[in-house]
Amino acid sequence: MVPNPLALIAEVTHHCPLHCVYCSNPVQLAGMYSELSTAEWLSIFQQAGKLGMLHAHLTGGEPLARTDLTELIAAARASGLYTNLITSGIGLSNQRLKALVDVGLDHIQLSFQDSREDSANWIAGAKAHAHKIELAHLIRQHKVAFTVNLVVHRQNLDHLDETIAFIEQMKPERIEIAHTQYYGWALINRAVLLPTRAQLEKAVEVVAAAEKRLAGRIRIDSVVPDYYAKYPKACMGGWGRRLMLINPAGKVLPCHAAEVIPGLEFENVREHTLEWIWQESPSFRRFRGEDWMPEPCRSCDRRTEDFGGCRCQALLLTGDPTATDPACSLAPKHHVIEAAVLEANSENGIAKPTTASSFVQLQQQNATLWNYRTNPE
Amino acid sequence: MAPPQDSSQPRLAPGCRWGGTEEERVILFPEGAIKLQGTGREVLEHCDGQRTFGEIIADLQKQFTSADPAKIRDDISRFLEQLQKKRIVDY
Repeated sequence: MVPNPLALIAEVTHHCPLHCVYCSNPVQLAGMYSELSTAEWLSIFQQAGKLGMLHAHLTGGEPLARTDLTELIAAARASGLYTNLITSGIGLSNQRLKALVDVGLDHIQLSFQDSREDSANWIAGAKAHAHKIELAHLIRQHKVAFTVNLVVHRQNLDHLDETIAFIEQMKPERIEIAHTQYYGWALINRAVLLPTRAQLEKAVEVVAAAEKRLAGRIRIDSVVPDYYAKYPKACMGGWGRRLMLINPAGKVLPCHAAEVIPGLEFENVREHTLEWIWQESPSFRRFRGEDWMPEPCRSCDRRTEDFGGCRCQALLLTGDPTATDPACSLAPKHHVIEAAVLEANSENGIAKPTTASSFVQLQQQNATLWNYRTNPE
Repeated sequence: MAPPQDSSQPRLAPGCRWGGTEEERVILFPEGAIKLQGTGREVLEHCDGQRTFGEIIADLQKQFTSADPAKIRDDISRFLEQLQKKRIVDY
């Protein structure tokens, strides 16, 4: 028997009022017509609770785009799950927030794109920044735990200290600083998003100083980008080891991006139970354990720590989902990562805030490389 | 950043709550959970935001008579301070 999963990632819709260039959603989004019903989600949360899962992370798209979100949160909470709402905040009113907290919402994670309004709205492809600030103050008037999430990249890292100070004023319990991961839309936009080594090194210092300054007040969780790491990330804590993700149409995936892998068929909650999918389905078993591993993973001491890295990244960058994650410095195809890093650090590299003379010039220089996330049909 | 004082009233920090089953109790927080067994569980079950640190210590010293009372105080103080740094406990 495989140990039970720990958390459920519920992508309740792929619709989103924001169009962030770093979005991790697949480029092929699930349409509204195929979305799971309220009753189907209720059954999923019950099954998740019985399976011993601890957390339900409601995400999207924008989960607030579902009019039944309060019911979904109530059901997840009633099933014993810790409920986390991952949101842009668009669509949240005081009344709606109160209803969510009343039914047991444990935690809300609000995203910001930048501290500077022009840049934040540019990254999101929507005028959302001012509304988010209002919301952050509103959230603090309710009894719910609060995290601010900031995705960082080439276009907002130069003033990270300013952005942390900006977020600090909103008094969250926690700040999550997540370097962009290059899947979905972010991979399409990688050239404008991948930071330079100098940007990254400065950011590490800024985060360390902020951690020290805010200790005991605000916890900072920071995710280091794998393009600059020596070893790959233990993606999702290993394939089929901790997490199940359910997409808006009911497909059950081991991670956000897994659908890019050709030849794998993902089961649907409309046809199978979560337990069967977790224990028995070929897709969840495909990269579980070590049998699938190639060298150098198979004989590597780190195979039980990083599990060979990310299967989707291996597919996306090498064409082979069974290859060692090219982010690993020991990977035979590590050169594809090195090439991207080299380009990001070249003298004539893509513009970033400190090299452009103004925000308008920055926008102009990057305009042709900037692909906004679209919505499903 | 300081250890709890006798008058502190330790409690779970916002966003943290008990979960799991009676046999396997955990404290849930936004991005994870910690499993609590034995003394750690006992200590945190006392941290209800009502009782003071002084009262909690006295209670646990009574319960664990075979252990050195000063060591109990030190251990629990350090334990709570660590959890406070991780934003799991407030006092």
